Amino acid sequence: MRKWTRKTTVDLVLIVFFSVFCLVFMMPYVRMILDSFKTRVEVMKANTFFPSKFILDNYQSVFEKTPIWNWFLNSLCTSTLVTVVMLFTSSIAGFVFAKYSFKGKQVIFWFIMATMMVPAQTTMIPSFLIIQRLGLYDNLFALVVPSLVGGFGIFLCRQFIEDIPDSMVEAASIDGAGHMRIYFQVILPLIKPALSALAIFTFLGKWNDYLNPLLYLSDTRRMTMPLALSFFTSQRQSDIGAVMAAATLVMLPVTAVFLAFQKQFVRGISITGMK
Amino acid sequence: MKRTIFPYLVLAPLILLLIVFLVLPILGSFVISLLDYNPLRETGNTFIWFDNFKRLLGNELFGISFKNTLTYVFIMVSINLVVTLLIAQLLTTLSSNKWRSLFRVLLFMPCVAPLAAVSVIWQKGILPTKGGLLNIFLSNFGVAPINWLGNASVLMPSLLIVSLWADIGYNIILFISGLQGIPQDYMDAAKIDGAGPIRRFWQVTFPLLGRTFSYVTAMTLISQFQAFAQFSILAPGGGIARAGYVLSTYIYDMGFGNKDMGFASAISLTLFLVILVVTLIQQRVNRVDWGY
Repeated sequence: MRKWTRKTTVDLVLIVFFSVFCLVFMMPYVRMILDSFKTRVEVMKANTFFPSKFILDNYQSVFEKTPIWNWFLNSLCTSTLVTVVMLFTSSIAGFVFAKYSFKGKQVIFWFIMATMMVPAQTTMIPSFLIIQRLGLYDNLFALVVPSLVGGFGIFLCRQFIEDIPDSMVEAASIDGAGHMRIYFQVILPLIKPALSALAIFTFLGKWNDYLNPLLYLSDTRRMTMPLALSFFTSQRQSDIGAVMAAATLVMLPVTAVFLAFQKQFVRGISITGMK
Repeated sequence: MKRTIFPYLVLAPLILLLIVFLVLPILGSFVISLLDYNPLRETGNTFIWFDNFKRLLGNELFGISFKNTLTYVFIMVSINLVVTLLIAQLLTTLSSNKWRSLFRVLLFMPCVAPLAAVSVIWQKGILPTKGGLLNIFLSNFGVAPINWLGNASVLMPSLLIVSLWADIGYNIILFISGLQGIPQDYMDAAKIDGAGPIRRFWQVTFPLLGRTFSYVTAMTLISQFQAFAQFSILAPGGGIARAGYVLSTYIYDMGFGNKDMGFASAISLTLFLVILVVTLIQQRVNRVDWGY
């Protein structure tokens, strides 16, 4: 048997404390899932915690009466497209800023960094007018085009690429590798941790965004998941079971991806904190 | 590397995108703030110079939203930092990696959920006066049902609870990785010198955590000033007695509800200025000039 030490007692106390804390903390999830299986009457009465009988009517109603697959695909396509392009633009700009010297480098870099300081609320009105001018209103590209470049990604990639020794880049160059070949074969493989962190942040930010879809989309079928959920909720004020079923379906994809890749998530967030 | 035009070829399209979707909007908001601008109107969108800013001064709703924003951000950031640092410290003390990962994953889960969905769940499942989980729980202690979203004095606390629940996971992870990055030698030295756990925290851990703490504070401040989804869903139009009106929702309502875009731009520039000033003060206060 393991020896009972002071450390074991501290551990035990902490485990019990956090178990209770997390149980309470998870209650909104538990509530959401349980309510999504209740009948309308049972939710209204609100005197049971567990459903007296698990029914699937709420889910059926969401799938039959809403274009939920459209909402899902809208979210998936816009978020994926933005993430892929963002990884490319950030890493190649980071490469240029870290490994090349050219006129105006400092000015351009700080100019890009300064754009990060501005809150979304300050740019949203002119952005809306620009999107309208470009004919992108109520078009999913309105969510994509403005987010293809970002100061945060460029900064993160530059920090990581600066750590790669110049000699490696020079050696590849002497061996006859062109700029793009160096980028793809030397730089990219060495900054994978930064890229996966950036991918997580970009994808989550896009998937969860509420403000931009609210500004740019109006047709129900073109909505992304978060906006669609709040729209659905306002349509079905009293049908809490159906709202909870829709909420569960909205939460499911990101939560599943997170649970599958939790190590990468934690490492990705820690990385951004250190640079 | 030798001089080439490669950097310019790479940066040109990116800078074009940034100019169209970031620089133009920034300049645009300055210009629009000087106009009486309604996008639905064909004529009459004329320069009125600083009249929009003058309107701010006597405007009651602006005053309320401004005060609410500062209150929300200040309380939110303070509680957030204290709670997350405490949880991170306790979780780092835990010697079992398995349990630590489990708790960390659970506490982070709401961070990956859309804030809009989080708001809906709290609105429909936790906060309702009748049948809400919170009131059911409190009734066990003889507390009469509270109208969390319909009572002006508890609306802001409710919004704070929802926002905290949704957001603490990030900072817990950042603090845990910061704490684990502190070299063990310092801790051992302090132990040998006879410092207890609380003294060790304040005199060794906390000062050595300076960089992480400063980063986390800045990020939390900047993101909370822009908090929008939970306010827009749980306190539409500012909620009861406008007790939940913050600048982000006020700007949205003025710009897109009232189509008073000149006025909304003036408010949005004020928000920008407030964020800038607060961040600069924070950077000053939390300045860290050394590393280990």
